Amino acid sequence: MVKEASEMGSTNSSSKAWHVVYKIIKIWNVMIIEAVPDVHHNTKTLFLLQKKSDVYSVEDLWDKRSRKTDIGDEEEKYKDLKGNKKKKAEDLKKEVELDDHKLSASELEEKYGTSVNKGLSSARAAEILARDGPNSLTPPKATPEIVKFLKQMVGGFSILLWIGAVFSWISFGIQLAQGAESPFDNLYLGVVLALVVILTGIFAYYQEAKSTNIMASFSKMIPQQALVIRDAEKKELPADQLVVGDIVEIKGGDRIPADIRLIFTQGCKVDNSSLTGESEPQSRSCDFTHENPLETRNIAFYSTTCVEGTATGIVINTGDRTVIGRIASLTSGVGNEKTPIAIEIEHFVYLVAGVAISIGVLFFIISVSMRYKILDSIIFLIGIIVANVPEGLLATVTVSLSLTAKRMAKKNCLVKNLEAVETLGSTSIICSDKTGTLTQNRMTVAHLWFDNQIYSADTSEDQTTQPFDQSSPSWTALSKIVTLCNRAEFRPGQENLPIMKRVVVGDASETALLKFAEVILGDVMSIRARNRKVAEIPFNSTNKFQLSIHETDDPNDKRFLLVMKGAPERILERCSTIMINGKEEPLDSEKAEAFQTAYMELGGLGERVLGFCHLYLPEDEFPDTYPFDTDSMNFPTSNLCFVGLLSMIDPPRSTVPDAVSKCRSAGIKVIMVTGDHPITAKAIAKSVGIISATSETVEDIAKRLNIPVEQVNRREATAAVVNGMELKDMSLQQLDEILCNHSEIVFARTSPQQKLIIVEGCQRQGAVVAVTGDGVNDSPALKKADIGIAMGIAGSDAAKNAADMVLLDDNFASIVTGVEEGRLIFDNLKKTIAYTLTKNIAELCPFLIYIIASIPMPIGTITILFIDLGTDIIPSVALAYEKAESDIMNRRPRNKRKDRLVNEQLAVYSYLQIGIMQSVGAFITYFTVYAEQGFLPSTLLGVRVDWENNAINDFEDSYGQQWTKYQRMYLQWTGYTAFFVSITIQQVADLIIRKTRRNSIFQQGLFRNKVIWVGIFSQIGIALILTYGLGHVTALNFTPLRFQYWFVAVPFAILIWVYDEVRKLFIRRYPGSWWDKNMYY
Amino acid sequence: MEIRACLILLFYLVFYGFLAALFTFTMWVMLQTLSSDIPKYRDRISSPGLMISPKPDTALEFYFNKSDAQSYAEYVSTLRKFLESYDDSKQSQNINCTPGRIFDQNDVAVKKACRFNLSELGQCSGKEDKTFGYSKGTPCVLVKMNRIIGLKPEGEPRIHCTSKTAWGALKALEEGMVEINYFPPEGLIDLMYFPYYGKSLHAHYLQPLVAVQLAINSNSTKEEIAIECKILGSPNLKNEDDRDKFLGRIAFKVQMTE
Repeated sequence: MVKEASEMGSTNSSSKAWHVVYKIIKIWNVMIIEAVPDVHHNTKTLFLLQKKSDVYSVEDLWDKRSRKTDIGDEEEKYKDLKGNKKKKAEDLKKEVELDDHKLSASELEEKYGTSVNKGLSSARAAEILARDGPNSLTPPKATPEIVKFLKQMVGGFSILLWIGAVFSWISFGIQLAQGAESPFDNLYLGVVLALVVILTGIFAYYQEAKSTNIMASFSKMIPQQALVIRDAEKKELPADQLVVGDIVEIKGGDRIPADIRLIFTQGCKVDNSSLTGESEPQSRSCDFTHENPLETRNIAFYSTTCVEGTATGIVINTGDRTVIGRIASLTSGVGNEKTPIAIEIEHFVYLVAGVAISIGVLFFIISVSMRYKILDSIIFLIGIIVANVPEGLLATVTVSLSLTAKRMAKKNCLVKNLEAVETLGSTSIICSDKTGTLTQNRMTVAHLWFDNQIYSADTSEDQTTQPFDQSSPSWTALSKIVTLCNRAEFRPGQENLPIMKRVVVGDASETALLKFAEVILGDVMSIRARNRKVAEIPFNSTNKFQLSIHETDDPNDKRFLLVMKGAPERILERCSTIMINGKEEPLDSEKAEAFQTAYMELGGLGERVLGFCHLYLPEDEFPDTYPFDTDSMNFPTSNLCFVGLLSMIDPPRSTVPDAVSKCRSAGIKVIMVTGDHPITAKAIAKSVGIISATSETVEDIAKRLNIPVEQVNRREATAAVVNGMELKDMSLQQLDEILCNHSEIVFARTSPQQKLIIVEGCQRQGAVVAVTGDGVNDSPALKKADIGIAMGIAGSDAAKNAADMVLLDDNFASIVTGVEEGRLIFDNLKKTIAYTLTKNIAELCPFLIYIIASIPMPIGTITILFIDLGTDIIPSVALAYEKAESDIMNRRPRNKRKDRLVNEQLAVYSYLQIGIMQSVGAFITYFTVYAEQGFLPSTLLGVRVDWENNAINDFEDSYGQQWTKYQRMYLQWTGYTAFFVSITIQQVADLIIRKTRRNSIFQQGLFRNKVIWVGIFSQIGIALILTYGLGHVTALNFTPLRFQYWFVAVPFAILIWVYDEVRKLFIRRYPGSWWDKNMYY
Repeated sequence: MEIRACLILLFYLVFYGFLAALFTFTMWVMLQTLSSDIPKYRDRISSPGLMISPKPDTALEFYFNKSDAQSYAEYVSTLRKFLESYDDSKQSQNINCTPGRIFDQNDVAVKKACRFNLSELGQCSGKEDKTFGYSKGTPCVLVKMNRIIGLKPEGEPRIHCTSKTAWGALKALEEGMVEINYFPPEGLIDLMYFPYYGKSLHAHYLQPLVAVQLAINSNSTKEEIAIECKILGSPNLKNEDDRDKFLGRIAFKVQMTE
């Protein structure tokens, strides 16, 4: 009860945490889109992402938040969330009141008691440092290691085993006090039980410790040194010594050491990608440009990077009070959701513990009422608990999961949290990024238009040639413009790399064009060298074109060639002719119409279109020595000759469409979440199959039927493209409706933070959600998701830390492989558990019959432990290697409420059918051993009291012989050994039948899983060693056994196998029948 | 719903019925392979244990007051009962065997039992002293060797007892606290009673007894005297096993009050 209550508490507080996160998300909502066709891209950053240059702007929410009522509200929410409420709440207030961007430099100086020229005095700085603490993110209050360790010691079955151990020690104490003959047996048993708990606890603790280091990357992001002005001197200080009011200088390449209000800048640009996920560098100046502190240009944020230029600023927030600090503390405040497999295992532990305790208590009562001594009853209770608890199982599950994790790592899925392996398998919705995950993350030329015709280009990852028709002279002209009007260059020293893999200095579009030209024409750099550039106007957003003038490589042609590229409509405006089949023809309205059609078509594909034109400057007007001046533009820039269009897109990875269709048949919904333009997003979604060819959005239907969007029956549309701006205004119900009603959804223009809303929406539908992400700001969403998947190449450390899994190749297809592995391990764990549970009955029955029929004890508690932790371990791990029985990617994801890991059928079939058969087989062996030594079954019934009486040393058997106590004990141990051997032999059969749940063993193949055979041989090998090798160690209660007793249970093993084949046959023959419902687990 | 429950019930009825039948059948087959005369294996009891009669309820400790008949009544009645089967009238079918020789009857279908005369037990036969010496402070304890089919002792097996006080190593005998007498003399066990052929073939078999009479010194009353009896004189009868405290030996305590 207490545990439940505390869990409830934690969910409450985390839902409140999400409210706070929502607010942050809203702040980053996308508002304005600046339609820049070609964007400057900094290739120096690791991020080769080419995202649209969305400019984030903010609604008035920030200001609303600063209203007192909201603060109070916020404060309260925070109070629930965190332990150190007061401090946090005050921090929040401070941040809310941030208005430093509105103040002038002198006002700031006054506010922070500092001086722009002299900085703070060291003494003052020390004072503030003492007040505010160091400028670093506080790691979350970690659970002390010892507490974690102790938790492992009492979790799962451990409590039951501790109870067993304590009972053993108590009975040892009592027996010692009574001066009984051999009280040490119980002492040993208690020690062994305690050892089992401690060892499995250490194992589990070690596994857990390996996968918890969330804050590590946040602390790693802190810059090491900062250049600070203090006491009118420039000093290098460790960044964590910074205090509010310090004057810091930043230069290109630095990480911003704190939240800084800029007071002097020179060409400063910052990369906010770690904060917003937006990899376009944003310029920074001293001017107050926006009400909102997050949008204004004069504030630079902690942990972001200064890409170029220099700046000086006043520190306005440090440590946890910075914007990133708040995100960091939120992420760590978000408890990990319990993974589905953890829930399943908990369910299973409760089930087994329930059975153990109820049988234990029931037989305790029975034995007491049968006038057994209380002490004896307690010993029975221990035996029943030990027999019921599958001691080795939790370790086995862990090993199985880590084996799968290893296998997945080979397939580029690095699993950080072991249990996530299975979570991936139960995934029902994948929210995937577009850029880099679904696409190749590089602009590639997809289409060309010249001679009034659209040509398609190859966009695959490893193109070496382009198949389209290159014979037209127009193409020659176009290729020349593409080659020359381009500033991008290959980094030197990559001649041996495939063209597509080479690193280019230049923005994404130019890179695409350069590679395109290099593939078709060969050495672009030497072509450029032969056509010397004499003048150039780089691209800027006012002109929206790029122009350069070159000498030609034809020694007889002394004309200069002017080449130009840019936004197609702007280029066309400047042209009076158009090249058709190498000939210039006047640009009449018909040809302009053709251009428009092509432009619209390519644009409609979501591609970025560029126009190309050229002009040969007449030799007489522009002689060799002509001084081209790009400022006065003393050359023609109109009446040019239009040559063609090229369109580019970040093309989908070639493996993705297949992977998406696999998801589809596996019943997994793939939702695309991207910051891109809806048209581009939709085009990519269509090309990879996220939106299937036949389905339509509401807008499509409206267009087809020629009716307004409002009149369309929304239920007819299977697909939906949701704009981030719409999403922002949506109520939760509306979002739920969309998620419910449309099977194919694309979220475009979403800020990365909106992912959280989407994830939550999906989870409200009861889905198990996998989310991909790469930015710092994705971490809350990654944490919130049932399985967070970070990108290995493009992902930030924070994202990788928050995620449960890292995709080493950023490839969507790897997720699908992961799903397959996850589903397989779920099936295989079922088999492992079924295998392990079965023999519990064969271990339990001896106790029950011993109590009721008073026969000599058939199997000892220590012997049971040797089965659970000895012979059974390797075989149950071996089941993790079992191949799938059918195409597991053709069935729906597991319903986490209905399809339990351990369901009723599994328990019943294992316990009441196979388990009972095993018990019968083992008892036959037991009775055989006793009968052949002189105790016929009839003699054994009801002898327990005399049998165990130390004073009776002339116990008569069925043939009149008399036995001393020790002789009887030795026979009893022989019985233990025989029982043990029988269970082992029958467990071999159990192992073989568990290979499949539905198919015949012959369909599955007996020898396909070699590890099963390792398991079988190990099982028998361990049994042989225990019986013959350790048969003389008294404490272990094993004795060398006559060889024929190994075979007594064989007929029962065969029976088990035949019975299970029959079961499977009926299941296959009569699907949906009574048999299928009750016998399929 | 009810039909489903019935089906399940029926299924398990059939299933367990089948298993029960199978179990019974297998047990029956197994029992058919066994002889009713001798067990298949006797390797677990290669050497016999020793036991005494009467056997007190409390772990082999005799407490009695020689002047209080009630305190030893149980011992006496146990002995009487035990010796009933040795009564001459019960031994009418038994034959007199040649003393000192193993009495091999392998070829004979009907195994004969050797007569064990109660008179061999002398004062402990219960004929002269109905209280087996308990009233006189000379209590008798019968020592017997466990029956083991086919066991043939070698040499001259005999029972020998030693005693010590509960306080430890001091030999009570040397102190003169107790005097031990054996019937038959020297505690000899005659070889003619071996081998034993099992309950069904050797129905009237009587195992040889040795009576140990403890003459407790009247000064030593209230002392707890520990007696340990061992089988000696036979190389194939073990008496020093570390784990089995009753293999060829037995220890018990006697405390007598007046």
